[in-house]
Amino acid sequence: MPQWFLTGLRRGVVTTHYPARREPAADDLPTPPAFRPEQLSQDRALRLAEVCPSAALAIADGDLVFDVGKCTACGRCRQAVPEAVTASGGFELATGRRQDLVKRIPILASTAR
Amino acid sequence: MTTSSRVASGLPLLEVLADPASSVGVAAVSIAELSAATARLAGLPGTRLADMFAAGSDPVALRLVWALDGDRRYVVTESAVAGPEYPALSDITPAAFTEECEIYEQFGIRPAGGKPLNRVAVPPQHDIQLPRLGTAPREPAADVHAPHTVGGQAFEFPFGPVRQVGVESLYYGLVTSGEEVVDVYLLTWHKHRGFEYRARGQTPQEALFYAERVEGLSAVGNGWAFAAAAEAALEVDPGPTAQTYRGIALELERLYNHAASMAALCQSCGLTVGRAAAEIALEQFLRLNARVFGHRYLFGVVAVGGCGHAPDVPALRTMLPAAYDELRRSAELLLRTNSFVDRLEATGIVTAEQAARLGLVGPVLRGSGVSTDARVDHPRGPYREHHPAVAVETTGDALARLRVMLAEATESVRLVGEFADDLGPGQSQLPEVHGQAEPGTPHSGRSGLGWAESSRGESLAWLELDRAGRISRARIRPAAVRNWRGFDDACRAQNVFTDIPIIEASFWLTVAGTAR
Repeated sequence: MPQWFLTGLRRGVVTTHYPARREPAADDLPTPPAFRPEQLSQDRALRLAEVCPSAALAIADGDLVFDVGKCTACGRCRQAVPEAVTASGGFELATGRRQDLVKRIPILASTAR
Repeated sequence: MTTSSRVASGLPLLEVLADPASSVGVAAVSIAELSAATARLAGLPGTRLADMFAAGSDPVALRLVWALDGDRRYVVTESAVAGPEYPALSDITPAAFTEECEIYEQFGIRPAGGKPLNRVAVPPQHDIQLPRLGTAPREPAADVHAPHTVGGQAFEFPFGPVRQVGVESLYYGLVTSGEEVVDVYLLTWHKHRGFEYRARGQTPQEALFYAERVEGLSAVGNGWAFAAAAEAALEVDPGPTAQTYRGIALELERLYNHAASMAALCQSCGLTVGRAAAEIALEQFLRLNARVFGHRYLFGVVAVGGCGHAPDVPALRTMLPAAYDELRRSAELLLRTNSFVDRLEATGIVTAEQAARLGLVGPVLRGSGVSTDARVDHPRGPYREHHPAVAVETTGDALARLRVMLAEATESVRLVGEFADDLGPGQSQLPEVHGQAEPGTPHSGRSGLGWAESSRGESLAWLELDRAGRISRARIRPAAVRNWRGFDDACRAQNVFTDIPIIEASFWLTVAGTAR
């Protein structure tokens, strides 16, 4: 049992200092998508709503409605339509109200592209 | 060379057995011959029943997958069941019993002889008729287990399915006289999600997304087996680079799972400082996975016909030694901690006879002295050139299983190094993924068997595709499906019920993998 005590002393504290300091390991994690409105045609928006396995993406009133609260950062939307989707790189997503997690991205009116 | 090698399909059994060149042989066996064929296969040396499942209706196609480990091949027997019954195969091979129960729930056909069947997969629902793969049985299976005698001062108490935070839903029926485990039975259906039902109509690539999430801790093991089944059906070869990437991911998955098992063992013995040490190693492995493959649990690495993510090999070479050293130092200290080792010795013994009779796989089987490992017995990809040393212990207790896992961890580090060396400099490009099974591909309308040695043991998958290249039947058989049936034997072997968490940690299965 003294061996464990000495090992613990030698190993020291490994707990992350986040949020006091940035956590570098978080840079490698998948993150929810960010959308490029200038690339978001009707067809692409429909495809995005189709491929999302957790129904985080939907179409309503000419917008792509993205519910961050339902997103699992699986990356299928980015794989399906790489022109219009990038990884946001953000994981600090908490808000005070549930509705603030729902984003609306306007879909291009033209059906070109 | 395609991943499936040659597949002999639908031939008489004797002809299939006589053709050693095919890595997967499919034999047509009539119902009248099925008992004899099963007895013959069960009696072959170095052979075990790896899976049994059904498909279709009128008639139902009954399939048994036999692993002829000694001959490095699988043989699948297919029989058409026109009526409500088929021969009682679990009387010949007890390894078939759980599958007979599952087939009854999903297809309504049952073994002859009237033996009581258990509910295994479909949860009891009184007001919702849950969808089945075939025809639901007229009489549901009983919610019971094998008969036991509760005599004297023994009593039965229920535990679960809701246990504690972070632990899967699982119900134990514990029969005890106070301390000693007289009997235990498990109800494992609470995490049933109907994957095999949901996969129907999807393309293999679409279904793979769900297949790797059925049991997230074996995303690579189950995902590789599933992708390989699709590739066999489509006659697509992912190529050596993609296979090497998969091999690296599979060994990284093995490493983190074995670290997690060690942490769980410490927890079950009340050694929290040991648990913390093992979890430091676990976290380092998970961070390594995120850096090398973009996901802590290696989701999205396997793709049908290739890989979804190329590894960051320089990061792998930098981070792996430190993570493994963390595990090794903690393990060495644990094995010198008598209070810990005493709890594992002679706990949860599974004999070689029990393991073979029930068709167990993985470290549970190897801890009982049986040297079976799909990487060696059915090698594919990089394992054809790089043979892992199979870790075997003979005492069959929790300590044996831990020793097997620790030896495997050492081997995994060696293998990852060799696989990375094979890649050479500059090979971190993603190989082109082909054979995505888009509808209308010319080879659709076929079936295929896939496998991989996950951290828990052999994982199997079978796919049947329709003419449009979409799934008409998907079967996944994670290792947990085979090994949970050995758990009650292990608990009954002169243990007290505080040994049960230790046994559970040493098995390191998942409920998700069996409930599916």
